[in-house]
Amino acid sequence: MRRLTGAALAILFLFPLAWSAFASVRTPKGFGLENYARLFTSDNGIRFEHVFNSVSVSLLTVGGTLLVSTLGGYAFGRFSFPGKDALFLLTLAILMVPYATILIALYVLLGWIGLQDSLIGLSLVLIMFQLPFSIFMMRNSFEAVPKELEESALIDGCTSFGALVRVMLPAVRPGLITVGLFAFLTSWSEFFAPLILLNSTDKFTMMLAVVNMRTASFGAIDYAALEAGVTFMAVPCLVLFLILQRSYVRGFMSGALRG
Amino acid sequence: MTVLVTARPAEAPPAVRPRRRRARRWAGALYAAPTAFMVGMFFLVPLGLVAWMSLHHWPLLGAPELNAPENYAGMADDELLSTAVWFTLKYTVIVTILLFALSFGLALLVQHPGRGIGLLRTAYFIPAAVGFASASLLFLGMLSDEIGPVNRILESLGLLHGYVSWTSGSSTSALSSAVGLVLWRFAGFNMLILLTGLQAIPVEVYEAARLDGASRWQLFRRITVPLMRPTIALVLTLMVTGSLLAFDQFWILTRGGPDNSTTSLVMVIYRKAFIELDLGSAAAISVVLLGVLVVFNVVQLAVLRRRG
Amino acid sequence: MCSTVAAALLLGAAACGDDKAPATPANADSGATLTLWTRAATESVSKAYAAAYNATHKNQVQVTAYPNEEYPAKLASAAGAKALPDLFASDVVFAPQYASQGLWLDITDKFNALPVKDKVAPAHVRNGQWNKKNYAVPHTIDMSVMLYNKDLFTKAGLDPEKPPTTLQQFADDARAVNKLGGDIHGTYFGGNCGGCNVFTLWPSVWAGGGDVMNAEGTESTINGKEMSDVFALYRKLYSDGVAAPASKDEAGPTWLGALQSGKIGIAPAPSAWLGLIEEKATFKLGVAPISGMNGGESTFVGGDSIGIGATTKHATEAWDFVAWTLGDEAQVEVVAKGKGVPVRTDLASNKYSSADPRVVTINNLMGKGKTPYAKNFNATYNDPQSPWVTAFRGALFGDAKKSLDDGATALTASLKK
Repeated sequence: MRRLTGAALAILFLFPLAWSAFASVRTPKGFGLENYARLFTSDNGIRFEHVFNSVSVSLLTVGGTLLVSTLGGYAFGRFSFPGKDALFLLTLAILMVPYATILIALYVLLGWIGLQDSLIGLSLVLIMFQLPFSIFMMRNSFEAVPKELEESALIDGCTSFGALVRVMLPAVRPGLITVGLFAFLTSWSEFFAPLILLNSTDKFTMMLAVVNMRTASFGAIDYAALEAGVTFMAVPCLVLFLILQRSYVRGFMSGALRG
Repeated sequence: MTVLVTARPAEAPPAVRPRRRRARRWAGALYAAPTAFMVGMFFLVPLGLVAWMSLHHWPLLGAPELNAPENYAGMADDELLSTAVWFTLKYTVIVTILLFALSFGLALLVQHPGRGIGLLRTAYFIPAAVGFASASLLFLGMLSDEIGPVNRILESLGLLHGYVSWTSGSSTSALSSAVGLVLWRFAGFNMLILLTGLQAIPVEVYEAARLDGASRWQLFRRITVPLMRPTIALVLTLMVTGSLLAFDQFWILTRGGPDNSTTSLVMVIYRKAFIELDLGSAAAISVVLLGVLVVFNVVQLAVLRRRG
Repeated sequence: MCSTVAAALLLGAAACGDDKAPATPANADSGATLTLWTRAATESVSKAYAAAYNATHKNQVQVTAYPNEEYPAKLASAAGAKALPDLFASDVVFAPQYASQGLWLDITDKFNALPVKDKVAPAHVRNGQWNKKNYAVPHTIDMSVMLYNKDLFTKAGLDPEKPPTTLQQFADDARAVNKLGGDIHGTYFGGNCGGCNVFTLWPSVWAGGGDVMNAEGTESTINGKEMSDVFALYRKLYSDGVAAPASKDEAGPTWLGALQSGKIGIAPAPSAWLGLIEEKATFKLGVAPISGMNGGESTFVGGDSIGIGATTKHATEAWDFVAWTLGDEAQVEVVAKGKGVPVRTDLASNKYSSADPRVVTINNLMGKGKTPYAKNFNATYNDPQSPWVTAFRGALFGDAKKSLDDGATALTASLKK
């Protein structure tokens, strides 16, 4: 009975994505790739630079997030320093502010430091939005590492940094993979932030191009091309998901999200 | 906080000489510095600007004029805002209850290893691979009359006669579309979180209780739920916060309709800022919303700490 | 030269450098790169303008298009950060708001120095004005007309060459087509779309001599006789099943698709769709002006306006582009050749339009139509959360009198903000 319910639910959960892939290859004459052709060649479709920009932004965001959250997680999980609790709470507070509120102010801010209309500026903003989840995750991951591991490295004469690199990092690998994966997933499909923070078409990301398909003219959603866009963007994420499955599940399970 | 097998180290650094301790504090601060920089520069500074804006009449170009507390006082008369507040609260309650029940149910379903359980778990989690904006677009197409299969299937089952629009036919169907989207997208994620809490409970605890003759329901009520309290609290916090801030699903799927029946709070902020070009009022609503969320989270944290 | 310190600070060197006379070609085509923003719906036209200009000038215009719905947010953010592009186009009904906020530069003197200034779509020009100064000029024109399926007309026993000349007749023709049954319907409208409705229903009010607002756009008169009658007519068409049931939920995205299906007899729609529908259609399409209850003709002169961004550093070059777009070459070789409606009233009949008499009909409507003027147009009428949507849905599907009366009050309040 349990298996039956489970299987039925699984079908329900898999259905939308499966349908999207199906709809993306359905044409008036049967099946074919013409929706994808339209996706890439129509006036406001996806171009190579969109793909390149999306990849760049995602890599920058993943790299930056891993860097900041690893160091930060180490600090929160293993050290005590002035302002620790306050900083942690402030980081979590990022979850409580909606985009619409803060985006104009961020736009102004990026202008002040000369990073407006740049992929780097956009990535910095996306890293910031990733911090609550990432820091929480890495803090708990570091906390879960047995003290003895770190102490033995310190006794051997390592600095804390050495201990971090040699001993802690391998121990928190599942957490790292989880953080990296989620940073990639969010930055890959971001829509509103790139819309507001980027100005030049040659800097646009893929998601902007896909949403442009939504309202091409006064009406006229090209649904088939839209689904092609959704499927196309979902494929790398799904692939990564399936490959890294064991790692991030272990990352969750390592007690990193116990609350 | 949790009954857990893995060793949980103490918060304090290893006992060492005072000079070493101070060195460690410096090291800690240094490691936290990038975080502090990002949070300060890209979060606190813009937030401060928003709070500042909420006290002014802030035209797009041109000089702002102080007009406190007009932006805040004006919120009381705003009919669309009060509709949105009620709707957002109603939506939060509905989604939290349904999503929690579903996620917990799924977690219970997959908690014991077995054949195909891994596959089930993956299936439930896969929607998380699709970005939320993408997911909204996906549902827009799936529920549409033009190419969506939903109406076709319901018709062939004899449940549907004629034309119906799920995303704007009635306030109930619009709300259901949005709720369905959220359930699909987030159940797997929350399931994983709850799963970690479930699997952290040692088997021995269950066995001892079973030996004492406890029923399945009693096991659940007396052992599972209490020991999962922090995990449940985390999940509920994420759900409530996320629902109060809901935007994408209404913006893309239902456009706040029909007849403003699915207009959320953040949509009102968006409209104030970008359609009415009243940045000051939009900032004021944002500040109030942030205040509410902070209060809610502080209360929730306090309640948790006392019971834990 | 520079009138106020504030203006100088805001506009930088550009303001101080303005002449009263049109810029001489020498310093206006200095080889600058100009950024132009436009919305997705207008992208192809803006790009066509830019391509033709770039081919013959040293200045180079780069076009960026944004999704329609999010374009206002993009403009507001850029303005808030004092980083507007050199040029930007917007829906003509939003022009008064942007002009009042100072998002475009004051081009009154420049515009008045143009030889063609009286031949440029007057309704659009008015919308680009604030406090009697000009800030924007017409960029594209899109008008509302009645589009009807000639094949369905014939099948229903109507003369396909004699479209209705009154709204009552439109309703009768729609009923006749509807009798064909099956999934054929007489007409279709956007019952959940504020922008669609103003575009298609208001011309009937104007043709009947009435109006929906006062001239300044600060007071609503939708509970007047003309508007109430028009709503009553459409309401009956819906409740009698002559209008397709999907009309009630139509928020815009599938409007074109419905007309392309060939199953609608006659419906008011954008004139730009003539080509879009015919290219996929197996039926012939007819065009007729939208009429009033008992006669008269009018149209909603929509489209986009364009102006020079207030924070630009290349005002002279930007004006060179704008002035060029209003010239003969641009209007005939870019717009008319691309099957668009020229913004110049004297070019309604040109070498490309005369090939299709329907196009001449459309072009000539420009003189008979109106563009409504209101500073708070977007928040009052277009936005899905606007009081207009509540009002007209009540008029079409709920308590008509109450909705229109309450609506007039709510709209007036919103217009006055």
